[in-house]
Amino acid sequence: MLYFTDKQTQLADIFSRYPHTEQGRRSALMPLLREVQNALGHVPEENIAEIAALIGSTATEVKSVMSFYSTYHTTPTGKWHLQVCATLSCAIAGSDELWDYLVDELGIGAGEVTPDGLFSIQKVECLGSCGTAPMIQVSDVGFSECITRRKMRTQLEQLRAGANYLPDTVVPVFIQDGQQLNALEQKIGGKYSELEPLKF
Amino acid sequence: MPDTLIPPKPITSALDSRFKPSLYARVGIPNSFSLESYQAGGGYQALRRAFAIGNDAVIDEMKKSGLRGRGGAGFPTGLKWSFMPLKDGKQHYVICNADESEPGSFKDRYLMTEDPHQMLEGMIIAGFAMRASMGYIYIRGEYVLAAERVWAAIHDARVAGLLGKNILGSGFDFDLQVHRGAGAYICGEETALMNSLEGLRANPRLKPPFPAQAGIYGLPTTINNVESFCAATQIIRYGWEWYSSMGTEKSKGNKLFQISGPVQRPGVFELPLGATFREMIFDFAGGPLEPIKAIIPGGSSTPMMPWTDTVLDAPMDYESITAQGSMLGTGGLILIPQNYCIVNATWNLVRFYAHESCGKCTPCREGIGGWMVKMYEKLVRGQGKPGDVELILDMSDNIGGKSFCALADACLGPVLSSIKLFRSEYDYLIANGKSQYGGSSRWAD
Ligand SMILES: Cc1cc2nc3c(=O)[nH]c(=O)nc-3n(C[C@H](O)[C@H](O)[C@H](O)COP(=O)(O)O)c2cc1C
Ligand code: SF4
Ligand code: FES
Repeated sequence: MLYFTDKQTQLADIFSRYPHTEQGRRSALMPLLREVQNALGHVPEENIAEIAALIGSTATEVKSVMSFYSTYHTTPTGKWHLQVCATLSCAIAGSDELWDYLVDELGIGAGEVTPDGLFSIQKVECLGSCGTAPMIQVSDVGFSECITRRKMRTQLEQLRAGANYLPDTVVPVFIQDGQQLNALEQKIGGKYSELEPLKF
Repeated sequence: MPDTLIPPKPITSALDSRFKPSLYARVGIPNSFSLESYQAGGGYQALRRAFAIGNDAVIDEMKKSGLRGRGGAGFPTGLKWSFMPLKDGKQHYVICNADESEPGSFKDRYLMTEDPHQMLEGMIIAGFAMRASMGYIYIRGEYVLAAERVWAAIHDARVAGLLGKNILGSGFDFDLQVHRGAGAYICGEETALMNSLEGLRANPRLKPPFPAQAGIYGLPTTINNVESFCAATQIIRYGWEWYSSMGTEKSKGNKLFQISGPVQRPGVFELPLGATFREMIFDFAGGPLEPIKAIIPGGSSTPMMPWTDTVLDAPMDYESITAQGSMLGTGGLILIPQNYCIVNATWNLVRFYAHESCGKCTPCREGIGGWMVKMYEKLVRGQGKPGDVELILDMSDNIGGKSFCALADACLGPVLSSIKLFRSEYDYLIANGKSQYGGSSRWAD
């Protein structure tokens, strides 16, 4: 089914962001792909052709661009596509165990969808939230950060019960009245860097 | 921060009572991302000052401030701005690199979610200085909230006459758009970013021509990191003298440092350049939660440094970290705990670079994407053989400096440094088929 037929204002808005030239038209490719994927969860074959026609390109070229990025899917994902960050900071904080937990709990592996169509899982690389590791991205909605076993369990339960996913973002920045908080100064009443080095 | 208060002695510690956070000063204020809140705190005064002093004076101040690009490479920002042709009659572009995908880096994200107008103001000032009429903000696709907040900020700025035609009656026209990425680290490389923005596969382009001659759509373009634009706002607001009163001889100003790994408070801290690792790790992040063996100082591409007193007491500025054999990079520290296998940690990063290799050039596509990651998989599985480390070093020699862009060299940062510092762990793993140390077991309940 064509996606943009009845969405002319939306199309006009996307094209207006770029120059009104052939090259500028092509720039709309990524926003158009995102529109379709956000609405349908993936980008079906016929919409690839539709987008190609819109930007004056070919389906092959559109696919070539799509395959470059990890976000676009050509086959359906689960309603909630859980993307686990597997890169170093998250790995140190336990993302491997988090992954194993999801595999056990959902009974699926990478690229598979649960029989009820609710979940799919994917390992991804650093999502820019290393300060709140381990973390996952849920579909295109947002991040869940500082994930513990209990938190993950609760979230899965809620999503299974039909709740909507709400991003759960922590801002790991420590400012109070324009001053940065200094944890240890408060705790030990002195400057840590002037004390004896820590012994474990 | 009154403009008159210019300290006689450089500020190189955030514990110095004269130091006040400026880039993150507004984080934590309720509604900090709204235009009202930004203007109530003196927002868009820098833009007014820029219009008052004129475009050439803005570039001049940027040069004098000593600001170096905060996206990783550290190229002097004022100098970069001065490369733009002045009277060529062509349309000029300003691009903000908000792709932030370097593992260990997460500072730009909160600049966008908590204070997007600071970044917009810097971009408008840059556009004014470089005679640009249009700017794009390339935000990595996963930053959903950041994109929403930046869109909203652009909308509010347009309504308030801060974007669009004849901004604040200055006669200067400038507009901004957001372009969202879709999950590819290489899009952070400036020329790959331009290809991505043009709807092409994001392979890096050959330089020269440099973006200032032929960038997006073949037109003169300047690209800077989010933090660089925010720093520009502060510099034009308070003047270059204030800015260069912070930092060391050659590394001026303040910087957002990030820390992740087992410390009491992982997060973002704003420190003057020249603050020590010890200050960052202990005074601000609260110290490690367990013994640490290595510090990655500036995002995954920068070589690891050993956990020693010499390193901990080294100032975090461009020159000192280079002298210690690593790089300041994005200022994203990752601490690797003693009982985390270093080969495993390095494999993790090699896998990252292998996954993100764009495939354009052979040394990186085959070397990193094929051989290097396979070698590490073999080692981590305990199937390594004597001579494998030498083979990795030999391969590195054939990849380093021989690839099309900096991604392949970036991968060699952790590889070569981990072998240099922790060779015994490699040898133990090869001899015994398993590591002395495990993976992580830190996942809390
Ligand atoms: C593989 C690779 C990835 C990069 N990723 C980023 C990035 O995510 N964000 C960024 O600001 N710069 C990144 N850079 C650096 C940019 O190419 C460019 O130098 C920078 O955006 C310039 O801005 P600055 O002068 O303000 O630092 C990357 C470079 C390479 C080679
Ligand atoms: S070094 Fe890697 S990322 Fe860079 S152009 Fe070559 S293949 Fe692409
Ligand atoms: S390593 Fe997981 S978010 Fe950066």
